[in-house]
Amino acid sequence: MTTVERGGDLALALTVNGVEVAATVEVRRTLSDFLRDDLGLTGTHLGCEHGVCGACTVVLDGRPVRSCLLLAAQADGADVTTIEGMAEGDALHPIQQALHDAHGFQCAFCAPGFLLTALCLLETNPSPTRDEIREELSGNLCRCTGYASIIDGVEAAVALVKPPTPDEPHAPNEEDSDA
Amino acid sequence: MREAIAGKLVGSSVKRVEDPRLLTGNGRYVGDVSPDGVTHAAFVRSPLPHAHIRSVDTSRATAMPGVLAVLTGADMVELTNPFLSFFFLDGLYTPLYWALATDRVRMVGDPVAIVVAESRYLAEDAAQLVEVDYDPIEPVATMEQAADPASEPIWPGAGGNVLYEGIDTFGDVDAVFASADRVIRERFDSHRQSNQPMETRGSIAEIDREAGELIFHSATQSSHVLKWTLAMVTGKQPVWRSLRDLAGQRDKLKRFAVAAKEFATTNKAELDKGSANNAVMAKQMLKEPSRIVHLARSMLGLLAKDSSRIPEVQADDIGGAFGVKGAVGREDAALCAAALHLGRSVKWIEDRNEHLTIGGQARDESMDIEVAVNGDGEILGFRVNLTIDQGAYPTFPFGAPLFSQVMKTMMPGTYRLKAFQLDTRIVASNKANYVAYRGPWSIETWTRERMLDVVARELGITPTEIRLRNMYGRSELPAKMITGPTLDVRMSARDTLEKAIEIADLPAFEQQKEAARAEGRCLGIGFATFHEAAPGPPDFADTVLPGGGMLGSEPATTALNADGSVSVYTQQMPHGQGHETTFAQVAADELGVPIESVKVVFGNTRVTPFGIMGTGGSRASSMLGGAVTYSARDLRQQILDHASTLLEASVDDLEITDGQVHVRGVPAITVSLADVAADAGEPLRGTDTFDGGEGGWSQATHVCWVDVDLETGFVRIPRYVVVEDCGELINPAIVEGQVRGGVAQGIGAVLYEKATYDDQAQFQAGTFMDYLIPTSMEIPEIEIHHVETPSDVEANYRGVGEGGMLGAPPAITNAVEDALAHLGVRITEQHLPPTRILELAGVI
Repeated sequence: MTTVERGGDLALALTVNGVEVAATVEVRRTLSDFLRDDLGLTGTHLGCEHGVCGACTVVLDGRPVRSCLLLAAQADGADVTTIEGMAEGDALHPIQQALHDAHGFQCAFCAPGFLLTALCLLETNPSPTRDEIREELSGNLCRCTGYASIIDGVEAAVALVKPPTPDEPHAPNEEDSDA
Repeated sequence: MREAIAGKLVGSSVKRVEDPRLLTGNGRYVGDVSPDGVTHAAFVRSPLPHAHIRSVDTSRATAMPGVLAVLTGADMVELTNPFLSFFFLDGLYTPLYWALATDRVRMVGDPVAIVVAESRYLAEDAAQLVEVDYDPIEPVATMEQAADPASEPIWPGAGGNVLYEGIDTFGDVDAVFASADRVIRERFDSHRQSNQPMETRGSIAEIDREAGELIFHSATQSSHVLKWTLAMVTGKQPVWRSLRDLAGQRDKLKRFAVAAKEFATTNKAELDKGSANNAVMAKQMLKEPSRIVHLARSMLGLLAKDSSRIPEVQADDIGGAFGVKGAVGREDAALCAAALHLGRSVKWIEDRNEHLTIGGQARDESMDIEVAVNGDGEILGFRVNLTIDQGAYPTFPFGAPLFSQVMKTMMPGTYRLKAFQLDTRIVASNKANYVAYRGPWSIETWTRERMLDVVARELGITPTEIRLRNMYGRSELPAKMITGPTLDVRMSARDTLEKAIEIADLPAFEQQKEAARAEGRCLGIGFATFHEAAPGPPDFADTVLPGGGMLGSEPATTALNADGSVSVYTQQMPHGQGHETTFAQVAADELGVPIESVKVVFGNTRVTPFGIMGTGGSRASSMLGGAVTYSARDLRQQILDHASTLLEASVDDLEITDGQVHVRGVPAITVSLADVAADAGEPLRGTDTFDGGEGGWSQATHVCWVDVDLETGFVRIPRYVVVEDCGELINPAIVEGQVRGGVAQGIGAVLYEKATYDDQAQFQAGTFMDYLIPTSMEIPEIEIHHVETPSDVEANYRGVGEGGMLGAPPAITNAVEDALAHLGVRITEQHLPPTRILELAGVI
């Protein structure tokens, strides 16, 4: 439970990309401004600031959320993943790699939101159909691509991310990875 | 997809070099830039479309803790020069105006004051405290009201709201129309639309305290235009002071005189072509003599300005633009003025409500068209009345006046016409500025391709028959459009149409259509064929803007770095097009180096070559593609010259492979490019320009299938085909991305998006819940087929960015009319949301 400290400021503690963060913020500060301006995580983009475009999507306790519509205060105690926490070191996350391979994005301002939405999708549904991918991504706007390349990329990512099943020995793309 | 040529990068879908940065959140968009000690701006904007400003009270806002300054229009008059919009159209009224409204507001969202505070939160709080006393004026909400002489002039100097009227005729229009079997008339209206890139506009005026210089970070499509506009608008000083400052700068004046003379000599042919422009400009000055004073003060101020006071523009990653970020925002000038006034860096990132309201809107045009046609379907001529509503303020530097001339030039398309007349009228209204939006001249494509279907229906022939009957075929080329530009032998619009007809399998579709009709479903198919200047032949520029050719060529510098890597310097401003990849492909092929060793450098006005056109007009692939080819070739020659000494071999025997120079056939004995760079001592740089050469057309045919549901009014697109020819493809995946993205915007424009105003010019679409950008659910799979016309032309690359938005609106609306033809429906407006479909079909 959070408590409001002096004059509308508030102390909070949360985990961002695996790192514990403690901060004092104004109660009205949005989560997106907190991430971008206070923590310097500028990969989270602000496209509309009214919850429609999805560019600011981050993962909060496993679910994709609009960081422009949440107050930083609402993330107190939460585990937050932003686009900066998706790749491990220099290696792209398989979803990022698949979108790169598919020429998924153009200006890529929307990319962080799409990538994190896809991350949540594949965690809850590891084998989505193309129609399911299309529907799940429909909460994110892209103005450049007409979406086909993004859907192609996420579809290709399914094979890369999917854990191997006993009757389906899995060696993701070993054969053609250097093609 | 076209096969890649072995050993060449051009022609292959090389993965984007931008991606590792952009897909990991490590891009640097303007909103991500925060210089130390930066302050934040918010604008006070007019809630009324048209009003006199009686007074602005900033006292409460200024007194708020954390607020550094509140500047108004009166401050702008004090601190800045006005925007002196201009265009060489005889009789055009081009107003001058300041960054902030001075005595009246002309649109909802018109900036009245800029508030600078320690945080954006505080700036927005304080903006609420600025009290503006408005005296409302009757607004002009439609082009009909604008044309009414009784309407209140938005620009009193214009004497009315019609800012330009002109007539252009080609051929003997009266005789041709008199000779025709029939004249068929219709009127077409295109609604207001908006670019709406996912990133809004935004800028930071950074004051470098140590150097005292202004660095202007901005999401701009044209960094050099922004730099020089800001240099001219900011730092106002009296003429006498500029003259005094100049007197102490004899050397600079001499250099300027030499440069001016050289420019005049180099561009004599173009200046002669444009000589009539001087008279037009003189007339515009005399109509409003205050322009002379402001122009003299601005130009002298610019000339006298110490170079350290000329801003440096820095643009990094840009989150889309589609034309809107080619304009210089009034907000940009206000930010500069505020930063210079305070001596502090000031940041402003537009919010979506602002961007929807005043960020820039487009279209809002009407065309009345008469077509002279013979009974057998031979089209003889067009007579067209065009009206463009350019909104409240002219867009700087290019807006409706320029695009009206492209509309004029392109209206005949690739059809044989004997006569063409265009009456053009540009009006002002109390709506947002009219900006470039992907294919800014597209009203001519939509009207022509829509009208061809209407004519075909009237004559009882099919839409494809009327097109094939009138379109230039390959054997007739080269030919001249009746408006002037040459259609060269590579112009392949008809090839794309013929291939599209083959793909569409019309007999099979007719059967499906009948079967569907029996089930109560309405299927339709629509075609649209166009060619676009990408960038067009030299006589295209002559028609659009005589003398404009000198603005046309594109520069590039390709340089060898000390470590053997290569940098390509360009004034183009990529914002999603993948220039860092495509032009690295071109340079790498020319030089024989791996793509990883080529870096495309853009965005900073200190290091990139000068150019005033920026990214737009489908220039990059053709003009920059050629300039990179030739500048890299120049560099290659210099590299080989040095290597021939190092290897003691003749230049003719050398080749570069994988970044190593060696004697052909003797790969073991090499020198690396780093060795060459060390040997050269000074940096080797190849520089060249390219104007696009002859030809320069891209062309395509779009085919759209629709399934119209008369229960809901919803239009589904089960299939969409594009057959296009943009010359040699540098990177097919990038080309296809451009095509799909353009089509998606066309689908949005027709079925979803509208920048709605009420009858009092009050804006009604200020959120993404009102202005409906299509999602992944609304955009179908789009099939793309390439036609590549054989050519021995080098650098046979042409632009492809705008075509999707040219072809989609006519293909979709033609398909909808086809689907509803049995109900006698004729589609004359471009916006077809479900309610309008149901109204047209007589359901509601």
